[in-house]
Amino acid sequence: MSAVHVAGVSKIFNQGTPKQVDALVDVNLTVEPGEFVSLIGPSGCGKSTLLRLIANLLEPTTGEVTVNSKTAAQSRLDQDYGMAFQQAGLFDWRSVAKNIELPLELKGWDKEKRAARAQEMLELVKLPEFADLMPWQLSGGMQQRIAIARALAAHPPLLLMDEPFGALDEMTREYMQGELLRICAETKTTVVFVTHSIPEAVYLSNRVVVMSPRPGRITDVINVNLGETRSEDTRAAENFFSGITSVREALRGTHADHANAGAIRGVEDR
Amino acid sequence: MNQQLRRVAYRTGMFFVSIALVAVLWELYKVVGPEKGGKLFGVAILPRANDTAMPHLWEMLSRYAQPEMRSPNSNPIWFVVFKGAFYSFRLALVGFFLGSTIGVALAALMTRFKTMERGLLPYLVISQTVPLIALAPLVVSWGGKLHIFGFTWPRWLSASVLGAFLAFFPIAVGTLRGLKSAPAASLELMDSYAASWKQTLVKLRFPAAIPYMVPAFKLGASGSVIGVVVAEISTGLKGGIGRLIIEYARQATGDPAKVFTAVFGAAGLGLAMAGLVALADVLLMRNRPKETTT
Ligand SMILES: Nc1ncnc2c1ncn2[C@@H]1O[C@H](COP(=O)(O)OP(=O)(O)OP(=O)(O)O)[C@@H](O)[C@H]1O
Ligand SMILES: [Mg+2]
Repeated sequence: MSAVHVAGVSKIFNQGTPKQVDALVDVNLTVEPGEFVSLIGPSGCGKSTLLRLIANLLEPTTGEVTVNSKTAAQSRLDQDYGMAFQQAGLFDWRSVAKNIELPLELKGWDKEKRAARAQEMLELVKLPEFADLMPWQLSGGMQQRIAIARALAAHPPLLLMDEPFGALDEMTREYMQGELLRICAETKTTVVFVTHSIPEAVYLSNRVVVMSPRPGRITDVINVNLGETRSEDTRAAENFFSGITSVREALRGTHADHANAGAIRGVEDR
Repeated sequence: MNQQLRRVAYRTGMFFVSIALVAVLWELYKVVGPEKGGKLFGVAILPRANDTAMPHLWEMLSRYAQPEMRSPNSNPIWFVVFKGAFYSFRLALVGFFLGSTIGVALAALMTRFKTMERGLLPYLVISQTVPLIALAPLVVSWGGKLHIFGFTWPRWLSASVLGAFLAFFPIAVGTLRGLKSAPAASLELMDSYAASWKQTLVKLRFPAAIPYMVPAFKLGASGSVIGVVVAEISTGLKGGIGRLIIEYARQATGDPAKVFTAVFGAAGLGLAMAGLVALADVLLMRNRPKETTT
């Protein structure tokens, strides 16, 4: 049983109008339970679109998306996944704990159970004493950790993330990467992760999916083997750099048909 | 919270300073202004500074302590004015609640159905161009004809309805803007939780709308007061501050300070309504980031 199965999916916006965009064409992707898969590619290649299709926030034009062997629509109704975006998107009028409780409230959990789970999640993201603060009293990195806690509050087997660390500074970003790996290992969560950063994709993932635009499609899938436990030393390891090199070359390949093969717009080389 | 208290204190202070300023200007004009009024560039716009047109402030204030009429068992005027203002306050409150309910319901409906917004909003705008003075007698006569299940339309309800008529519009428009202010990312988040439209409305759209709703409700509150007072005046409804204003105005030649006691009563009424909304503002916004408070 695969966690995510995308079969022959294409997504065309504004079909049949002059504004038609072939956002995705014939995409096939399978993610196994417990796997960490990153989507990388230049701006506009359809990464967010693919993530939204998996989340059933969009319907595919053709093809099929299954999550946990259910239709994407059913798994959304069952809250089989949690989601996190570039902006933490916490609700200003709710305390930190109440923000984490939001998905549980919508599911109809009772008050004690919700509070207990919120505290458990706060401990998971190592902010246990912040329960009663308001979101705007936290730093950007802390807010993002609360957003991850919210996404995981219902213990979904799958986590979908769209550039969750894109707005953070480099130091915080690397710290958050370590934290995300720890949290996912502890909770055995499958992750599909959209990023613009090659090192981030390589450091986090079992597999890096390389995409290219116009029309949006998957051009390459690169296996990364950095072992089960990664640390700060991993960032200096030989196979980390070789991983980065292979992803970079795959990304260049996506532009082979262009005159200037070196220009990879929208992908940060850091 | 502390900062909020300080801001409230500052505003209250400024309020009294501005009142004192108007009082000083009033008395100053009485000293330098022309007794019989005056013309400026050939137009008669300078008001008369004599004691009939502009009584001294202390006369107005001391008038509050004196009996309303010459008869020996007449109540002091502060009591009469307070009673009248309180009567109108209750009517305005009914109108305000009526107007808020209708305004918020309309806003929710227009958020839910796009066609509603396109079809309804122009009519709401047009409704506000109908002059209140023309509408007041109509509402009274419609109300008089209404008898459903033994319910007879009390006369005062017409005044409340006119208050609601002025209150609902700013509330509907402000709430609509507020409900639509929820960020797309937050709406998508609620979608990802498979939240129902009602859940999204209650847990996201309304809380996000509060900063837009508070100023709209302030406008609505003063609208309800104006509606009620104008309705009282134009339909001759007894018991309220509007009626006192016309009665006292008729006696202005013999007792010029009297009408001002009622005018201040009406102003106090407006302040009381605005204060109610301001209180709700402080309570609702106490946990919000400072930048979004209005
Ligand atoms: N709702 C929509 N309506 C029309 N076109 C859309 C819509 N959403 C996305 N697109 C188009 O689909 C293409 C892919 O968009 P998408 O947001 O998936 O790219 P992306 O890879 O996430 O880019 P970025 O890295 O900049 O976030 C773009 O050309 C975009 O303009
Ligand atoms: Mg994107």
